[in-house]
Amino acid sequence: MKTTHKEVLFGLYDDESVLLHAVHKAKHDHLEIMDVFTPFPVHGMEEALHLSESRLHIAGFIYGAIGALTGFMAMTWIFTRDWPIIFGGKPYWSVPAFIPITFEMTVLFASVGMVVTFFTVSGMGFGVTNPTLDDRITDDKFCIAFDVSQSEEEEVERLKGFFRESGASEVSTKTI
Amino acid sequence: MSAAVSAIREPLITGGKTYHDITEDICAPTERTPSRAWIIAFIFAVSALAFYAFCVTWTVWVGIGSWNLNRTINWGWDITNFVWWVGIGHAGTLISAILLLFRQRWRTGVNRAAEAMTIFAVMCAGQFPLIHMGRLWLGFFIFPYPNTRGPLWVNFNSPLLWDVFAISTYFTVSLLFWYTGLVPDFATVRDRAKGWRKKMYNFLSLGWTGSAKHWQRFESLSLVLAGLATPLVLSVHTIVSFDFATSVIPGWHTTIFPPYFVAGAIFSGFAMVQTLMVLTRKVLNLQDYITLEHIDYMNKIILVTGTIVGVAYLTELFIAWYSGYVYEQFAFYNRVMGPYFWAYIGMMSCNVLSPQLFWSRKLRRNIWLTFLMSIFVNIGMWFERFVIIVSTLARDYLPSSWSYYSASWVEVGLFIGTLGLFFTFYLLFTRVAPVVAVAEVKSILKLAGDQYAGKEHTGKHPESADAHSHGGH
Amino acid sequence: MNQFTLQSRQRTFLIGFMLLGLLCMVITYLTDDALHTRFWTNYLHNTVFFLGIGFISLFILAAFTTSWAGWYVGMKRVWESFSLFLIPGLVLMVPIILGLWGHFHHLYHWADKAEVAKDVILTGKSGFLNPVWYTFGTLILVGAWIFFALKIRQLSVLEDTQGKGVADDFSIHRWIRFWSAVFLPIAGFSSAALIWQWLMSVDSHWYSTMFAWYTGASWFVSAMALTILLLVYLKGQGYFVHITTNHFHDLGKFLFAFSVFWTYLWFSQFMLIWYANIGEETIYFHERMTNYPALFYGNLILNFVLPFLVLMRNDSKRKTGIMVTGAVITFLGHWLDFFLMVKPGARHTAMEALASHGGHGEGAASHALSVAAGFSYPGLLELGTMLGFLAFFLYFVMTRLEKASLLPYNDPYLQETTHHAVWPYAEHE
Repeated sequence: MKTTHKEVLFGLYDDESVLLHAVHKAKHDHLEIMDVFTPFPVHGMEEALHLSESRLHIAGFIYGAIGALTGFMAMTWIFTRDWPIIFGGKPYWSVPAFIPITFEMTVLFASVGMVVTFFTVSGMGFGVTNPTLDDRITDDKFCIAFDVSQSEEEEVERLKGFFRESGASEVSTKTI
Repeated sequence: MSAAVSAIREPLITGGKTYHDITEDICAPTERTPSRAWIIAFIFAVSALAFYAFCVTWTVWVGIGSWNLNRTINWGWDITNFVWWVGIGHAGTLISAILLLFRQRWRTGVNRAAEAMTIFAVMCAGQFPLIHMGRLWLGFFIFPYPNTRGPLWVNFNSPLLWDVFAISTYFTVSLLFWYTGLVPDFATVRDRAKGWRKKMYNFLSLGWTGSAKHWQRFESLSLVLAGLATPLVLSVHTIVSFDFATSVIPGWHTTIFPPYFVAGAIFSGFAMVQTLMVLTRKVLNLQDYITLEHIDYMNKIILVTGTIVGVAYLTELFIAWYSGYVYEQFAFYNRVMGPYFWAYIGMMSCNVLSPQLFWSRKLRRNIWLTFLMSIFVNIGMWFERFVIIVSTLARDYLPSSWSYYSASWVEVGLFIGTLGLFFTFYLLFTRVAPVVAVAEVKSILKLAGDQYAGKEHTGKHPESADAHSHGGH
Repeated sequence: MNQFTLQSRQRTFLIGFMLLGLLCMVITYLTDDALHTRFWTNYLHNTVFFLGIGFISLFILAAFTTSWAGWYVGMKRVWESFSLFLIPGLVLMVPIILGLWGHFHHLYHWADKAEVAKDVILTGKSGFLNPVWYTFGTLILVGAWIFFALKIRQLSVLEDTQGKGVADDFSIHRWIRFWSAVFLPIAGFSSAALIWQWLMSVDSHWYSTMFAWYTGASWFVSAMALTILLLVYLKGQGYFVHITTNHFHDLGKFLFAFSVFWTYLWFSQFMLIWYANIGEETIYFHERMTNYPALFYGNLILNFVLPFLVLMRNDSKRKTGIMVTGAVITFLGHWLDFFLMVKPGARHTAMEALASHGGHGEGAASHALSVAAGFSYPGLLELGTMLGFLAFFLYFVMTRLEKASLLPYNDPYLQETTHHAVWPYAEHE
């Protein structure tokens, strides 16, 4: 993706409610939105863009289960097979005493796993520079972007018309 | 989030801010040269940190004998400080996780700084179990790895080892939670910066763009992390309480310890948040984001948790009598009337009695009193741990070994030193990162900004209501 | 439909179950041992269980009000009605109190003066464990709760007609908040004292500082479960149209979260006692693990494992069928939890009393007890008794629901509750 350059036409909006209207309008007009960029999460955007539900929590559950099993099985193996020792008259396999560490391992695996997964699937990480369209998107501008690399002139004009009608305050192009 | 907001709710962002104002106001402190107040505070903090390094070196060089611990009282200031710091380290995750789950919007004003505080407090806490081993360089023994002389492992049945897992997990998860929340805000700073600062924030912001899909995943991640961090934050102080409660020492072995330690931790954590917020909002000019409303809410939490702790104190006293177990009865008699009665009085008056002032709305919104009370609570909660640890150990089963303990200068120095460590990090944090969560505050502006919310308005802003009706299409 | 009316069909149905409960209690009484242990333990068990649901509902209302919650006000009439059950609850406590004075039950070991005299521990506790404290503690403290329940209810209903909203700065709501805030610390201190007397003193030698909070958490989950069941039913009848899937989602979160919280308290109490292994304390769990294993482990399965698995996902909290399943499981589970708190201790007391009074008791020795319906597991009579109490509770609650509009028209948070949405779901989903 990074090797090929994209020609992007984007419009900036001043308010998230205008943006939401615009997104609905774009969907209604069957325009293919490349992406929407906002300074903060705008509620209602998932439905407007028809984004599929995030599956991050499922990954989190799996990581947590692995963590729980790792912790519990490790302690079980160590205290019943590898080096069985009686502590305080308790049985080798003292389940109640294993619960705290099992719990901590569950949370540790789930959290670390999810955060790493989140940044990886979102293409982020230390040292990564993803192209941005406008510096004000992280401040107070709300942006809809269209990929116009392969678009005809009239298609671009149509998109510009869309921006005008939907209340964009600025429209420009950028190659990223 | 529902777009309808009751008119009874007070605004949480004042000054009629726009999105751009929010960016400007909150990012500004990272972009200008430090104020004189900051520089003076930083010099103090770094000096204390240097003294800390000196005291640690002294402890290692001379040995743990430079502390005043003795055979009877073998835990003193060290573990008191440990528990105190861990407790303080609870408010951040509470604010960011539990209040997120409870949809308390006011958390956005204070969560960032509170989370940072949490991380630094846990770092301070982590020092003490290591130093109190005396031989610092053997600290890695606490981690589970098979011993070189054979498959001899650490004791997984010991609450002290549970602590190792709990504290390190808590530190890791808090750090991830905090940093993930910071990424969009670092991107905001990045997009305003020039030169080397741009490079630095570009590195720190991990390539954040603000794409809709990323925000969706980001929110999902925040919710699940909050769901994980909530039981985690409970577990950490629970496990710290297990250090005491699994024993058979009267005064330590009591089943209410886990929830009561957690309540006490939240209590002391909020007190420290208040101490920092009262100063931070003034010095960095953030009164429009950390409003009197925020201070009021936090004082209410201090009142609630202080009273919960009070219920627990009285429960302990009562059940000690009720148990009919003479050692238990003596342990509590000794707490109240024994040689350390002054610590008990300090604990009761700072933790249970004085927070009752906060029943008055007027006092809850008094900045000076809030600051004073936050210091009181910090002191009271330190006394609580001191009472539990030292007054209990001083009178054990064998009267011939009864003893009295007061700290040496090294122990006091270590405590002051960790305060230096804490404030050094906190002061650096206020220079590098936006101390209020920029994106989160923006996301509640139309629900809680003073031009949209409050009595003067119908409680339903036309624009946001409009946006909402389209959300359901 | 914001005005609820109890139809004669429903009335007949509920009265039928109340009669069934009464019949079960009579049969229990007649077929019981000489001390009527099974009858009295059932009576105490159900009274405390349902009285506690009333108490904790008031606590929930007060806590939500003081924390400025808005989403719940559409269902606050339900909790108001639950909290008024404190009144019949207190009446139900009267026979137990009278029994302490008249010695016609042997629920509490400490109520037997002769036993106390030869028992050092019980003598030491007699300053607290005595009929006077029990009587006046119950009457005064539950009386105080009733005062708050009535006060909050009265103001809440008054707001429907007199509330002026912004015009008078929500003054009635502010009064509700005032009384709620005053109630919270009182509830915190007083509930502990009563729980020790009503329940913990059944095992009169045993003590645990956690016990009161643990019991409170159990009540909380039961109240949430019952709320969900009642709302699902009433919504099916066409009431509570303003309660949407989003509200059930939040109730489900509370059911889930407090099931986990209950487990946390259970584990903390159990593990600490197991770990320290002090005889005076472990006896409580030892007794339950040896003689009541099905109940002991079933408790954990019903109240932790099943609700945890059933309610973990977001979508499952938005499906009526799953929510009803979860609520039924936890409701029965916590009812069993209280069963397990009451039965073993009282059974032990009764056996000792029967042995010393020359009856046919099995003796007080700690050998394995025989499996007996009504003690080792709840028999059909227990189930019938519970249904009777439940029917009485619901009958009372529904007659209270009739007395006020189901939607509090002038509540400051009305807009918030009727437009409630839980992210990422939309309002009308």
